[in-house]
Amino acid sequence: MHPQTLRILALAAALLATVLFFSTQIDGYLSERMFTRISTSAAVILPIAVGQAIVVITRNIDLSIGSTMGVVAYLTGDYLSGHPELHPVLVLCLAMGIGAGIGAINGILVAWGRVPSIIVTLGTLALLRSFLVEYSDARTITTASLPQWLVDLPQANAFSIFGIDVRVTVVLALASAVVMGLCLSRLRAARRFFAVGSNPDAAVMAGINLPMVTLLAFVLSGALAGLSGFLFLAKFGNITVVAGMGFELKSVAAVVVGGVSILGGSGSMVGVVIGTVLVDTIDNSLTRWELVSEFWRDALLGFLIMAAVTVDTFMSRQLSRLSRKES
Amino acid sequence: MTKLGIALGLVASLMSSAVMAEAVKATPGQAVNMVLLPKFLGILPFDQADRGAQEAAKELGSTGTYQYIGPTPENSAAGQIEMLTTATTQKQNVVMLSNNAGDQIAAVAEAAQAAGTKVVTWDSPIPSGKGESLFVAQVDFGSIGTVMADMVMSMTGGAGEFAVLSASPDAANQNAWIEAMKKVLAEDAKYKDLKLVDVVYGNDQSEESYNKALGLVDKYPDLKVIMAPTTVGIVAAAKAMQDEGLCEKVKVSGLGLPAEMVSYTMNGCAPEFALWSFVDLGYLTTYTSYLLATGAIKGEVGETFTAGRMGDFTIEADPGREGAKRVLMGPFTVYNKDNVEAASK
Amino acid sequence: MTVLELQHVSKSFAATQALKDMSLAIEPGEIHAIVGENGAGKSTLIKIMTGVHQPDRGEIRVGGVAVTLRGTQDAQGAGIAAIYQEPMVFPDLDVAENIFISNRAESAVMNWRRLYAEADLLVAKLGVKLDVRRAASGLTLAEQQTVEIARALSLNVKVLIMDEPTASLSAHEVARLLDIARALRAQGVSVIYISHRLDEIFQIADRVTVIRDGSHISTKPIAEVTPEGLVHDMVGRAIDSFAVKTEASPHGAPVLQMQGLGRAGVFRGINATVHAGEVLCFAGLVGARRTDVALALFGIAPATEGEIKIDGAPVTIRTPAEAMAHQIAYVSEDRRKMGLAMTLPIFANISLASLGKLMGLFGLINAKAETAMAETYRKQLAIKSADTRVEVGKLSGGNQQKVMLAKWLETKPRILIFDEPTRGIDVGAKAEVHNIIRTLAGQGVAVIVISSDLPEVLALADRVLVMREGTQAGLLPIEEASQERVIGLAAGHDMKGAA
Repeated sequence: MHPQTLRILALAAALLATVLFFSTQIDGYLSERMFTRISTSAAVILPIAVGQAIVVITRNIDLSIGSTMGVVAYLTGDYLSGHPELHPVLVLCLAMGIGAGIGAINGILVAWGRVPSIIVTLGTLALLRSFLVEYSDARTITTASLPQWLVDLPQANAFSIFGIDVRVTVVLALASAVVMGLCLSRLRAARRFFAVGSNPDAAVMAGINLPMVTLLAFVLSGALAGLSGFLFLAKFGNITVVAGMGFELKSVAAVVVGGVSILGGSGSMVGVVIGTVLVDTIDNSLTRWELVSEFWRDALLGFLIMAAVTVDTFMSRQLSRLSRKES
Repeated sequence: MTKLGIALGLVASLMSSAVMAEAVKATPGQAVNMVLLPKFLGILPFDQADRGAQEAAKELGSTGTYQYIGPTPENSAAGQIEMLTTATTQKQNVVMLSNNAGDQIAAVAEAAQAAGTKVVTWDSPIPSGKGESLFVAQVDFGSIGTVMADMVMSMTGGAGEFAVLSASPDAANQNAWIEAMKKVLAEDAKYKDLKLVDVVYGNDQSEESYNKALGLVDKYPDLKVIMAPTTVGIVAAAKAMQDEGLCEKVKVSGLGLPAEMVSYTMNGCAPEFALWSFVDLGYLTTYTSYLLATGAIKGEVGETFTAGRMGDFTIEADPGREGAKRVLMGPFTVYNKDNVEAASK
Repeated sequence: MTVLELQHVSKSFAATQALKDMSLAIEPGEIHAIVGENGAGKSTLIKIMTGVHQPDRGEIRVGGVAVTLRGTQDAQGAGIAAIYQEPMVFPDLDVAENIFISNRAESAVMNWRRLYAEADLLVAKLGVKLDVRRAASGLTLAEQQTVEIARALSLNVKVLIMDEPTASLSAHEVARLLDIARALRAQGVSVIYISHRLDEIFQIADRVTVIRDGSHISTKPIAEVTPEGLVHDMVGRAIDSFAVKTEASPHGAPVLQMQGLGRAGVFRGINATVHAGEVLCFAGLVGARRTDVALALFGIAPATEGEIKIDGAPVTIRTPAEAMAHQIAYVSEDRRKMGLAMTLPIFANISLASLGKLMGLFGLINAKAETAMAETYRKQLAIKSADTRVEVGKLSGGNQQKVMLAKWLETKPRILIFDEPTRGIDVGAKAEVHNIIRTLAGQGVAVIVISSDLPEVLALADRVLVMREGTQAGLLPIEEASQERVIGLAAGHDMKGAA
């Protein structure tokens, strides 16, 4: 069996075990309501995790993703309060466009400025936040200033099956993962993300335009952070300068738990989706679990991420040993 | 300090309070360089405090400089420490600090004092009181406990379960308020049917606060009120209840800004919440700092001074923090659908 | 009409002039060999032709038209591709994707089924068994090179540059590659063939160009040159070709004994003794697991069966540190992965394995002693660089090999294992390395040499251990070892006359 397939199965098993465990611990856990809670909460993080995964696959990291999301949520909300008539599709384009623009700045600095991505995006993380502080002038975007369709969006159902409501925001987030997943496995251009992350020197020798691929990864990451920003705006309505803080770490956690190699070159969108849902399920379930106090929750989550990486490293070492034996 | 020293100090302070029965008035037009340092930049309450501080500085005709500077949100604690250090090396006369760095900042504040820069805290004090000249308290922390308990009383009809959604686990002011509320609940028999079931933290993040609020509802099916003594938390909780159609069942209350809360108060999700004026807090802090920096007051317990349009205030021992001194502003306004719309304009 | 032409090309890096007024013309459908010593400028020449570097002066003409190549992509567009000495594969991608990664003719949407089918075809054309669906990580160097050759073939190039393509291939793989080169020529593709193995050049080249110190020395039809003449042109001096050793050198007491040594699933049943002053050579085809024995001795992938004795006493070696404590040193084949820190200067690489000796007061490194030591080796081993502060990554392959050797010599080993010590280095440097190995043995060091180069084995060994598919196929005293005998044992059947 392919190591990636095995990894996905292991992740899915971990998710199932988590759900089963909490269903014995928390009353009414396996309910439609919990499905809505977790799915809508994971939906905000998912696009950002997908974007982060693309960047990580190219052997980079995007730490500015949370700030990007905050800036997008604020700017989009701000624009909407002046132009409430803007068509929803255009609003989505606006959000993703702003995100892509920010991603392009990161990408250009990393690709052509030859500055390591961790430095560049650490810089833009702070810069964007400062920009937001300056720009917002301490004004809060409130639901009152947003058009009604946007305020209602988080409650809108795309469809229901067996009494389980699947919200429009969940469908939007999943769509981003599915589209990117298809691209990554089917599009020649997207396969270059893996090539670049797997062996940058070889990529140059193989005639791949390394800077262009890097730029594209950051632009996509920015655009997807824009989508998350849009979902954030719709869901929380109240946007202040702290919007999206800490999401960069959440996205890295989801990506790493989802089996994307932090050293670049490998990973799958199925893994990222399961990783995101797993991290969010644990986070959401722990807040409802009486046995664990507030302070242990973060520690447990941190432990989970470390365990995931350790198990992953151990497993891939065993697998490569196995495959060597076979050959 | 020797026993004699303590005795002398006591006598001196008694004497000074006797002598200074008359409120000290500021002499305008002196040069005082002031820095207003909020927890971080970019949210409304701190900008309101800045407005009040500017108003006071103008009235006082200070010929020194006035700066409103602060860290960005993701760099709050470290940024505050750095900025206080910078202010000290710049020989600022006084730094007005809304502390978000816990006791970590105490050493830097003590160094500032030693170098001649006064540190006056407002909104959120230095927990140990070290390095702090005075704390300008928005309200009596004990009385916030009472008001929070009373709001829960009125919303539950006197009996039922409620939970607290706070900011971060190490925010000095919120922690003090929650403790005060617990004390009131335990001591006064009229609250005996109110049950505080949990305290959770949303870290002043919309998303975390929102999820935590929903978590409380799921965990405690009989929950009647979520009390959020933080302006970010209260809006997120109200939005969560509204989104889930739970406003009839679970009410939200706490400390909030009228402009952000108006829709939730009008639709009944958050029928009652409280807040003091941050403009007034900035104004009073600036008056206090000016008087302290010009030497008109020493910052001793018992001293009384006049703070412009807000009237007379007296320095007293801070009942919540041993050895620390405070100036108590008070009171606060309770907002409901009768007054929230006017206040949100 | 030339297919590719360089006219008066010069290129400098900082103070070094890598190419001086270099002119070269490649005819369509010829196999054009380029030979030169280490640092003669071959690497730079290839990089200019593949667009990795741009010339300072002079121009490149493709089909008679002057072009500017701003990258490998441009070069591939102009029909020029290269396969390198250090294979460039993508470990996380599968073999098929590795092969077609540069192929722009493929559709934008991946058709995996077709991709695998085409990859199977290409690999089959090379006569190699390789699962094109497996990830490239864990492929041996030879397999990786196969992938690279297939990649270049998939591009339908007009000019294919092969930079030391056979350095790590076994005898029959070499023969197959030479066949492929001839087939390419028959289809009108020009092959630029760079190799230190003169026999290969005489087998396939139509013309041969010698370069030295960045300058063009000569270009002649192969019929007009002799091996001695080429070597003379390359080094600018006459040189002895290495004689075949006819009898073992005198040696001392047993130092290292391997008894039934094995590692589960990798190799087994290795029985041999290395004496002080003796050179034991491991021969075998690629994939015979010779390197794995070395890795076991050095504790990188420890043995799981059998026994290792040093001076007659059984020892366990589970980590390189333990091996070093027993005064074992391992000069590895893969310089990039196991041997050298490419971004560190020469002196830091040399001192890396023996920092303990250089530590002075408070555990600080004595910088003066460190540079002095490195400088000694630079002179002794004739490492070509201005001083020892140069980054190792900037040196040529042969000089990198010398730095690695210096690093291990400084640990004063009693047991020294060389893995392909002359792979990818030129004739002159090769003779130097052989002399060093002989000198070390003469000083009483027990030496193990793993080599795919049979003449080298026969020139160095006192005894030859032949491996086949993870087992010991034979242990021959040098008197009994001949090319035919060794290859026969290695291949498991009689190959007399084929070698």
